[in-house]
Amino acid sequence: MGAERLSEQLEQIVLKRIAEDSLVLPTLPAVVTKALEVLKDPDVSFKHVGTIIERDPVLAARLLRLATSAAFAGGTKKVTLPEALTRLGAKAVRGLLVEATAQKVFVSRDPKIADSMKRVWQHSVAVATLSRDVLALSGNADSEAAYVAGLLHDVGKPVVASILLEFERQVTEVYNRPFIDSAEWVAVIGRTHRTVGVALGEKWQMPEQVTRCIRDCAEYDNADRASLVNIVCFSNSLAKKTGIHAGTIDADEVDALVMIGRSIIGANDEIIKTLTRGLKERVSNLYD
Amino acid sequence: MATILTVDDSRSVRTIVAKQVKDLGFEVEEAEDGVQGLAKLGEREYDLVLLDVTMPNLDGPGMLAKMREEGNKTPVIMLTSESKRSVVSGVMKIGIADYILKPFKPEELRAKVLSVLQGEGGAEGVLAVSSEPAPQAPEPAAAHVETGKQFVDVLVVDDMENVHKKLRTMLPNHITLNGVTSAQAALQTCRQRVYRVALVDTEIPDVDSAVLAQQLKVLQPHAAFVALALRTTNDVLAEVRGQGFDNVLFKPFSQDNVDDFLGQYFDNLDLLSAEENVLKVAAFTGRADRVDKYFTRISDTYGALLNKVAAACFEDVVLDVSAAPTTGDRLAKFLLSSADQAKQVGMRFAVVGTADLQKILNSYTETKELRFYGTVAEAQAAAQA
Repeated sequence: MGAERLSEQLEQIVLKRIAEDSLVLPTLPAVVTKALEVLKDPDVSFKHVGTIIERDPVLAARLLRLATSAAFAGGTKKVTLPEALTRLGAKAVRGLLVEATAQKVFVSRDPKIADSMKRVWQHSVAVATLSRDVLALSGNADSEAAYVAGLLHDVGKPVVASILLEFERQVTEVYNRPFIDSAEWVAVIGRTHRTVGVALGEKWQMPEQVTRCIRDCAEYDNADRASLVNIVCFSNSLAKKTGIHAGTIDADEVDALVMIGRSIIGANDEIIKTLTRGLKERVSNLYD
Repeated sequence: MATILTVDDSRSVRTIVAKQVKDLGFEVEEAEDGVQGLAKLGEREYDLVLLDVTMPNLDGPGMLAKMREEGNKTPVIMLTSESKRSVVSGVMKIGIADYILKPFKPEELRAKVLSVLQGEGGAEGVLAVSSEPAPQAPEPAAAHVETGKQFVDVLVVDDMENVHKKLRTMLPNHITLNGVTSAQAALQTCRQRVYRVALVDTEIPDVDSAVLAQQLKVLQPHAAFVALALRTTNDVLAEVRGQGFDNVLFKPFSQDNVDDFLGQYFDNLDLLSAEENVLKVAAFTGRADRVDKYFTRISDTYGALLNKVAAACFEDVVLDVSAAPTTGDRLAKFLLSSADQAKQVGMRFAVVGTADLQKILNSYTETKELRFYGTVAEAQAAAQA
């Protein structure tokens, strides 16, 4: 079987599994699911949310660390988990719960994909950061959805990569046949990750506008200029243009997306410079 | 006068574009498809082509390709409702200066047309890939007049309303200030106004101040960003700088800290001004024990302004210190130093001041020889005599 044919078959298998709802997708941890559920209630007490989150000590520690950072408190006074959650606020806590879960999806112990998945995660954080800042141009302070949409826009990639690893083991170890080369790997992921990402977004009960971004953010939507899709599409192209991406990119297409985005978003050169200044450092400082 | 060719199969688009381009003071001609466009380009030279993508007979990419094949390098801005990356990428490879998506705002057309005609066109090289900080010198109000936005000196973002009210009482009246109590209001006001300095509280409930500051920077790229924080540790300045702020102003406010803040972001701009060969010292408005800092800042600015006057080939420099405080010997020392610097650059030095100052200068051996006048007009007349 030729590599091209195998690649097509793999793609079909992935798509078929999604259609049949038999694709094994990463699940939200029970703690996160429960916490997100209770956070839907605007009157929920943070003491109650705290009792749920403290069942996951790593997650609780992460939220405590952030709440005592200079951005939120400007001090080092020790705080309890409910105090930390109060300080962060419900919107930020929701975003952080999704972020902590998504980050795990991008971690692989397989050396074949570990590095590239880390780079995809860094790219995702860059897109999330830019999306949040680009949203400010519209005067909208509700940046949680923009951040999460940017963070998850490529979330299908590590899932497809894991599936391909599984296929590779079967093909090479069980059937002793050669597998597709790395270029085909990238191509299969490129053709399928959005469908898988949408399935994952739906499973995690992400807002509709977030799953729409995962599905459509490869192109601009000029019928709805202010859409989150356009914000994530522009941010995605800026992150790539700034050099924060995994693998090779089509530089001409990235240039085209930046140029279109300048017009759709209404960003001039000065704004783009402000958006991208120190982006690499901000991303690496946050997640190293 | 530059002449622009607009190529579009829609008469209404051509009419709108033509009107806006004429309003900019340029001539404009129209073509309704690529064939007509090429014919027009064969008849005369244009400075810029505004080109649609989808047109009958010959579309925009086709016309652009023919232009470049024939060696025509006239800059082209695509003005189109086509936003597919493959299409735009294709015309970028052939060579366009910029891109405008229809429907467009007049200001976008104006900005991009002027940018291309002034030789700054294109989106290349605009990314800030380094971590070099933004230039922090605040810009004077005049720099923003063209934006049509109101200029305000200080923005205070703090959920406690008392904070901006308190700061208002500690600032001189000529410093304008807006206070807002939510992130949403901060973003709104930053879209509508131009600020010189934004003060952002680090403890706004439900808000990550570092994120908010970064968002505000997108809207206020020239403003300095100062964190409002409690003095909780010895490293607050380092912490807030790590969060992207330029500086910190501690709460609760002390007049000393507020005066330092003023000195850093405002006073140096205003304390000494130059008009031709006359340098004028602004009035001292702070507390008596801040006089030394006032003169230090004036002295720091004087050398650069003196050099500008010298570079403009004036033979005399007139230093008007009528508004400066005369108590103590600080003014006399400053004048001696100023006269010495003027002598070093080969200029004659004259002082304009009050009768009190004249008495003081006459009481010191070192200063009584300074050329003293009661008004700037007298000093100028003496110089021309």
